[in-house]
Amino acid sequence: MRSNLPVLRTKRRYMSFLLESEGILEPKDLLVEIYSAQVSLMGDLGAASNKLKLICFNGRFGILRCNHDRIRDTRALLATINMVSGIRVLIQVIGVSGTIKSATKKYLPRLNEIKTQNYGRRIELDEVSGCVIGIHGHEIDLCPDDQRKIKGSDTRYLGLTSFDLCGGLYDADGTSDGLRQGDNGI
Amino acid sequence: MSFFECNLHAIPEGSDSASRLAFAAKRLGYDGIVISNHSCFIDIFRPRAAFKVNSIDVDFGIEIVGNNPKALGNWISKMRAKYAFIAIHGGSEDINRAACEHPDVDVLLHPEKGRRVLSIAAARAAEHNQVAVGFDLSPLIRLRGITRARRLELIKRNIILARKFNLQIMITTGARSRFDLRTPQELRALAEIAGFESSEIETALNLPGKILELNKRIWLGTGVELL
Repeated sequence: MRSNLPVLRTKRRYMSFLLESEGILEPKDLLVEIYSAQVSLMGDLGAASNKLKLICFNGRFGILRCNHDRIRDTRALLATINMVSGIRVLIQVIGVSGTIKSATKKYLPRLNEIKTQNYGRRIELDEVSGCVIGIHGHEIDLCPDDQRKIKGSDTRYLGLTSFDLCGGLYDADGTSDGLRQGDNGI
Repeated sequence: MSFFECNLHAIPEGSDSASRLAFAAKRLGYDGIVISNHSCFIDIFRPRAAFKVNSIDVDFGIEIVGNNPKALGNWISKMRAKYAFIAIHGGSEDINRAACEHPDVDVLLHPEKGRRVLSIAAARAAEHNQVAVGFDLSPLIRLRGITRARRLELIKRNIILARKFNLQIMITTGARSRFDLRTPQELRALAEIAGFESSEIETALNLPGKILELNKRIWLGTGVELL
């Protein structure tokens, strides 16, 4: 038995997004936060007409289903999410498609598991000092010794780059970037 | 069309360095950023490192926090020569009006922060002195429930005033870390919810770049440029 006539079916859109966070997130936690943000922003009536559903999420990339005439509202609600289960996040919409297949093909080039590494390095500068938590290209996450440095921004780590240290021409985990001799300044 | 984010806060006020913010903004699709720490956090950590990030314009400004109109005037006169972008931390009615009456001010940020809308006199002065009004959308991102509804109401009333007096408009997130930044498309979606029209949003996101371009030129007096 056909559940619904094709002309009566609601049109859906699939929104691919990229999530940047300070830690690892479970899809369930993200879903709870998305629903909560939706009800807060659109109200119960708006949420009921949006048919929002998290199709997939691998810790970094994901696909979210929404109603075709609610794309702007869905973008806005994703923009209002700034923290998921106590971890600061940034959700960036990559693109919108009409089918899951095209959303995956166009916007999600690789769905790999995210691995975290703990770098046992320290940065000692006059202004900041602490342990290096992660390095992504030129970008460095630093857990500061003085926790007052991150007060007011709700983040766990300080964000630096290799340009802030004495190097800058090489990747942040290269030997010539000054991670160990960072007190020279630039 | 070039998009600028005009009110970012770097270490020591925020949790990211200027170069890290530049990296994040470049990834999100901005053409330029203005890092404007509050006047009590002027000493930005390694500012020159931000200039090494390619394909994005990085400029430094200041967001002046004044306790009273006189102190605010002194700060503005002192900082005008040093910075290409002068923003005022709005809030109280006195400060809003003093900022709008000063021709050296580029933008008055979040005038609704003191839970009062911009006064008619201040709006008229802002029109006369070409002071832009900066709408900070961070309450839409950070707050929930009734507090967000109240701020949204104040923002809507300020938008009506800005339209009435043809004020220049800027839109910002007031980011203190890279997680507070949003892409121009998402800012546009948020701004439309707040009550802006799409043409206003385009102009608002372009305006910081235009102001910076004007301020970097050498002006001997009103309308007189040194070539």
